[in-house]
Amino acid sequence: MDRTLIPISRSKIENINALPTVPGSFKSISSFLEKPTISLEKIGLLISQDPALTTKILKMVNSAAYGFPGRISSVSHAVMLLGLNVVKGLLLGVSVFEIMEKMMSGLWTHSVGCAIAAREIAGKLNIKDPEEISVAALLHDIGKVIMILEYQQEYEETIREAATAECLIYDAEKTFFTETHTVVGMWLAEKWNFPRNLVEVISYHHTPQLSKLAFRETAIVHLADILVRGRGIGFAGDNFVPLLNNGAFETLGLSNDDIRDVLVKIEETKQVSDDMAS
Amino acid sequence: MKKISLDRIEPGMKLAKSVLSKSGMVLLSEGTELTEKWIERLQDMELDGICIDAPVEQALSQEDALTQLDGRFKLVAHHPRMANIKTIMRKHIESLYG
Repeated sequence: MDRTLIPISRSKIENINALPTVPGSFKSISSFLEKPTISLEKIGLLISQDPALTTKILKMVNSAAYGFPGRISSVSHAVMLLGLNVVKGLLLGVSVFEIMEKMMSGLWTHSVGCAIAAREIAGKLNIKDPEEISVAALLHDIGKVIMILEYQQEYEETIREAATAECLIYDAEKTFFTETHTVVGMWLAEKWNFPRNLVEVISYHHTPQLSKLAFRETAIVHLADILVRGRGIGFAGDNFVPLLNNGAFETLGLSNDDIRDVLVKIEETKQVSDDMAS
Repeated sequence: MKKISLDRIEPGMKLAKSVLSKSGMVLLSEGTELTEKWIERLQDMELDGICIDAPVEQALSQEDALTQLDGRFKLVAHHPRMANIKTIMRKHIESLYG
């Protein structure tokens, strides 16, 4: 179908705080993350001053998406264990939760499922910082959240189009907008000063072969996304499984049993996702 | 693991997840077997439920779950690698129904 593509500009996306539909709590976190000089102490303080955020962050770090052997019962402990980048990502993840629930029901569950799957895959591969991959998976679709905030009507139409045309939301986006959620997410991740590997996971989770600096991490989230969609957990904008990139899959070298273990683990998704809502 | 409300807990059930206070303190740890006394304490707290060891109830019938699986793989099932993943998934789904 030929239609005029809706232009999405970087400056408009970077200026999301000007949108009236963006909740105030998210605006303050977004502005906080933009500062280049965030320290672990400052971020710990910000979280511990907000009881609702504290509860959500602790629930998340103690869930199957992180899987520490002991319990983490304080923000200061979580911050020390996880480090600045993971805590920044978690803070953003739990603060978009509300928007996701309201604007695109199912996207939060999808994101949590991907975080759990990615954590399990990273564990199988003995990756040094599995928490970073888990948080990257939690945020991989952040571009969709901002697109639906900025262009609600058009994005809902894109979702309907994906259902009618029986295609992926990623492909439907290309017929409506000049950019897809992966590019929008990349702009945001850069605006919030996230590390390069996280930016690459967000940019290339549909095209892992293009990732130069974080191929393995991107491959993990690419597979996690496919497994979670395949199992029908949550809703990412369409009801189809994307095609697995062979190179990405081969680089991970997982066996059928490994994949089965990941599937067993992601059955916990609904529990974790519901738990955050309560 | 299954989450149940406080009026449905019974002695002998085992906690699949620790029960935490609002501030994140562990009140009862994972694996604790619930006694009458613990149940009484739990019911006096503002909890929306606890997680116990039990098979999760499936929202869909097995037949519907497998039909929907076919639907989701519709665009890619002809690729051998995707067909393999789908087979693993089908077996996994069947195992959830015992």
